[in-house]
Amino acid sequence: MSNSLKFIKTIAKKEVIEFVRDWRTLLALVVIPLLIFPALFIALPLLLQSEAAELDALDLEIVWQGDIDDELNDMFRNESLIIAYEQLPMEISNLSDIGEDMSRLRSQDVNAIFRLVQENESWSFSVLYLSTSEASNEARERILLSLQIWESNVVNGTLVEAGLDPEITLDPVTWDGSVASADAATKGEQAGLALSLFIPMVIAIWTASSAIQPSIDMTAGERERGTLEALLCLPCTRMQLLAGKWLAVATITSAGVALQIGGLLFAITFLSAASIIGLPSISFASIMLLTGAVLIFAVMVVAFELALAMRSHSVKEAGSLLGPAILFIIFPALFTQVINLDGIESWWFCIPLVNILLAMRELLLDRIIFEHILVWIISSVFYAALAAWFAARQFKREDLVASIS
Amino acid sequence: MENQLLKLTGVAKYFGEVEALRYVDLDIQSGQVVGLVGGNGAGKTTLLRLMAGVIEPTSGSVMFRNSPVAGMRERLGVVPESTGLYSRLTAWENIRYHSRMYGVPDDIAWKRVLKFAKELEITDAMSRHTKGFSRGMRQKTALIRALAHNPDILLLDEPTAGLDVTSARTVRSLVGNIRDDGGTVIYSTHHLAEAQQVCDRIIIVHNGTIRADGTPDQLLEATKKENLEDAYVFLTSDKARPRVENEKKEGKLSKWWRIFLTGKTPKITESDEDE
Repeated sequence: MSNSLKFIKTIAKKEVIEFVRDWRTLLALVVIPLLIFPALFIALPLLLQSEAAELDALDLEIVWQGDIDDELNDMFRNESLIIAYEQLPMEISNLSDIGEDMSRLRSQDVNAIFRLVQENESWSFSVLYLSTSEASNEARERILLSLQIWESNVVNGTLVEAGLDPEITLDPVTWDGSVASADAATKGEQAGLALSLFIPMVIAIWTASSAIQPSIDMTAGERERGTLEALLCLPCTRMQLLAGKWLAVATITSAGVALQIGGLLFAITFLSAASIIGLPSISFASIMLLTGAVLIFAVMVVAFELALAMRSHSVKEAGSLLGPAILFIIFPALFTQVINLDGIESWWFCIPLVNILLAMRELLLDRIIFEHILVWIISSVFYAALAAWFAARQFKREDLVASIS
Repeated sequence: MENQLLKLTGVAKYFGEVEALRYVDLDIQSGQVVGLVGGNGAGKTTLLRLMAGVIEPTSGSVMFRNSPVAGMRERLGVVPESTGLYSRLTAWENIRYHSRMYGVPDDIAWKRVLKFAKELEITDAMSRHTKGFSRGMRQKTALIRALAHNPDILLLDEPTAGLDVTSARTVRSLVGNIRDDGGTVIYSTHHLAEAQQVCDRIIIVHNGTIRADGTPDQLLEATKKENLEDAYVFLTSDKARPRVENEKKEGKLSKWWRIFLTGKTPKITESDEDE
């Protein structure tokens, strides 16, 4: 192994060991990225499901004001609604005018108030509720659902009485067969589309955010702790020092991203087993290009963050600088999600950050368009080299050591 | 000269517009313990950093055995003022990291480390994290780290600053042993008495210039004074400048923001000066 590589390896190894020696750092590095997607895709839906089931099981109290229909009344009771009957208030201007019922709705003495008035062959109604209360919303939902079925029964009855077939009369144009089977895209491609809408964004944001802490620790942190001068006295060049530190930050960041992707794959596999989502079908070439895109992105982001952190005189200053800098990743990432990939012009693949994010989206859809690939590879390598050059300039600054004491 | 190790020729150093060192010529021979003595901001640390090849001179040259020092750093051992130990690593891990960078195999480094650790009485501390180390322990560990690759010259920046009497004495004793073994040490210090005790040769640095260079007897003879303290005061009688390395010109925007936030610093009036 050449001396240069030996230096870089030794520096990187020491930096990684020192960084992960703190168990809290290790926890943040391993547990959070590993659990974030399973938590988001599995635990959160399960929690929502259990909350919904709990709400479903509740008996809710409502007040029925005005005219009563026996069929509708039975439907309400089947929906676990406990009904109290009252006269319609006199002072209201229309059925949606809450009037004096305001206080008992706001204090949640009742979950909802249903008002119904029959005029000849038609009915008017309103449901008074409190939108900030889960129980009140649920009561309203149950009332509306029953009303929908009841209205349908009323309409169908009227049509039958008039000698008409309700199905032909109300739904004369129908889709023949299953909607899903009419889609030419495979399940895998559909899954790829769904994933392409957030994976590039997550990878970009996670790469940028997880590189912040090690970048600061290995540059401004060294400066602040007074370890940088001893390091600069070693028989390695500053470029080797930068390369070693870059390798360490990139390793830590990559480990975080890899664990996050691992967690994501686990979540997808879990969901596909439950037939909620299909497994994305991506060719080997797309996977390789995707890996390359992430790698170039990491080179660029890590070099840029190391450079910014090295410019700072303290950890605090570096934090103030790099924290808001994450917005420069988040905005392009959000922006890229809405760009239409069909017939997209090649110049889009020249824009820094946007190019890599678009490339990731295309590759997740398994679209290998050589012109686009050529443009994003050349432009991204150029930007990565620019970031590395900027970092190199910061590492060569003389005041790096002159300002230590 | 055969035993010449370091040679500084016409070395000047500027930080921006501020002159830190003015045309320094120096020869350091092997087997000497050379003391750099001066007050705060005199230029001792800048001189040491130039000798260590960490910074480049604005003009002139710093040569180590006739080669630019920047390319010969593997032959130097440096203990900066801050010691530069990583608190999450043990003392041995700190030393091993540096010795690996100097290309020394771990087993050889360990033997040398043990020898010096015994001498400095910190053998038991080698497997401990340096986080809780006292200033003395840190200084001793940094010294061992600088010696682990058997350097030709040891550069020490105020190695006894902040140490208790016993630790300072142990450090001085180690420097004496290195000299006895034929080693070369450049020893920066504020204290003249310490320099007199440890060094064969004393260089007095003041306001970025070398005011005197020689053995203690030569300094007394040149200044016609009875003791070194009087000689030092005589040689450095002009007002010391403030420390220059940290000074950075405040930008217009920064200045406006500072005044906006905290107001102006009161001006010194004639009556203040009279008081």
